[in-house]
Amino acid sequence: MIKHEIEFTLNGKKRRLAIAANELLLNVIRDDMALTGTKYGCGIGECAACTVLIEGKAMLACMLLAVSVNGKSITTVEGLSQGNELSPIQQAFIDKGAVQCGFCTPGMVLASHALLTENPAPSENEIRDYLRGNHCRCTGYKAIVQAVQSCVKVPKR
Amino acid sequence: MKNFKYVNTASVAEVLKVLGQEKVNSYLVAGATNAMPFIRNGKLNNKTLINIRNIEELRYIRETDKKVLIGPLTTLADLEKSEILQKFAPALVEAARNFADPTIRNSATIGGNIASASPAADTATPLLALNADVIAVSAARGERKIPTSEFFIDELITVIEVPKNTANSSSWFIKLGLRNAMAISLVNVAACVAIEDGKVSQASVALGSVAATPVRAKMVEKALVGTAFSAQDIEAAAQEVGGDISPITDVRASGEYRQEMAVVLVKRTLKRIGNLLNR
Repeated sequence: MIKHEIEFTLNGKKRRLAIAANELLLNVIRDDMALTGTKYGCGIGECAACTVLIEGKAMLACMLLAVSVNGKSITTVEGLSQGNELSPIQQAFIDKGAVQCGFCTPGMVLASHALLTENPAPSENEIRDYLRGNHCRCTGYKAIVQAVQSCVKVPKR
Repeated sequence: MKNFKYVNTASVAEVLKVLGQEKVNSYLVAGATNAMPFIRNGKLNNKTLINIRNIEELRYIRETDKKVLIGPLTTLADLEKSEILQKFAPALVEAARNFADPTIRNSATIGGNIASASPAADTATPLLALNADVIAVSAARGERKIPTSEFFIDELITVIEVPKNTANSSSWFIKLGLRNAMAISLVNVAACVAIEDGKVSQASVALGSVAATPVRAKMVEKALVGTAFSAQDIEAAAQEVGGDISPITDVRASGEYRQEMAVVLVKRTLKRIGNLLNR
């Protein structure tokens, strides 16, 4: 198969590579870029463990051909922290104990981050609705919802 | 190894050129949320994937005097957040809001949803109820208006025209799936009703997942027109839906269950429209 030259920004760094048209973005991130925070769950867009941000929007890396993100900016869970300082939503997941096995956590964290960017003060229903595609099979969703709620800044009167 | 050729395009003219060259080998991809499972199953082996995702000229929601024009590359997330559609075609917003999950809605497009021609396509039902037209173009034959979902292999959808709901008309959509997220509709219903002088002057009701294509419920519509749109009128009209649909039994639900749920969902959709109109 012929290789396509593509360029994208991954967690703030420009990356350039030649890949076959049938490469999944998910595999390029995990194998070629060696960033294994993005998880390979179902591979068919049902579990959202592979959620990444493309131009700030939450999308599934298993449902994207790597060639199609040419020129785009991608953020994975590794790109949320500033050096050793975790982002507010990452810290909230720790503080609220919203992690058990941790497999769904990167996807949950990124989807929550996208939600809070779009809507800084979501209600519980809005949080549950937004995370409805992100599946967790061990903790239940209560602590995860609480973690997102703890990031809601109450507007000062 | 899944093998296919890949061409990225940046304009409508370029797409039409590639479609003309590749003909039956062409496979247009935008959000790719339908295409990815096909790639995995090897169904697109030896095809030419034409990526149209980045053609910005086909992504818009615009208002004209009587219609809302929607570019085919408008994502489900765009539809969900559109104030124009909220005002003039609430059924379409409701369909988008219940579509898969936010990550898929950021990728999936309205053009892809209707072009894939699934009987369960969640935007097809409201478009049918709203009497929308699809305009497609090909290099060989130019533009044509398609009221149904019959596309030729070398065509590209360029615009979806949705007549506006007015002060005395409204529309709604309700979907029944096996769960909230990522569910394929067991039955979905969209309807659009106009009231004049206290009576139903126009009614269009459409259902998805209950026949080979999304269908209009002509008998329900006939039963509604001329009534006062009371709870009893809605109840009676909804009972007629059995004559309009022919649901099959599959892995997700039995035909009998779909038949019964169709009545319930038609009733709920119409009641909701009643509430919207009385506001």
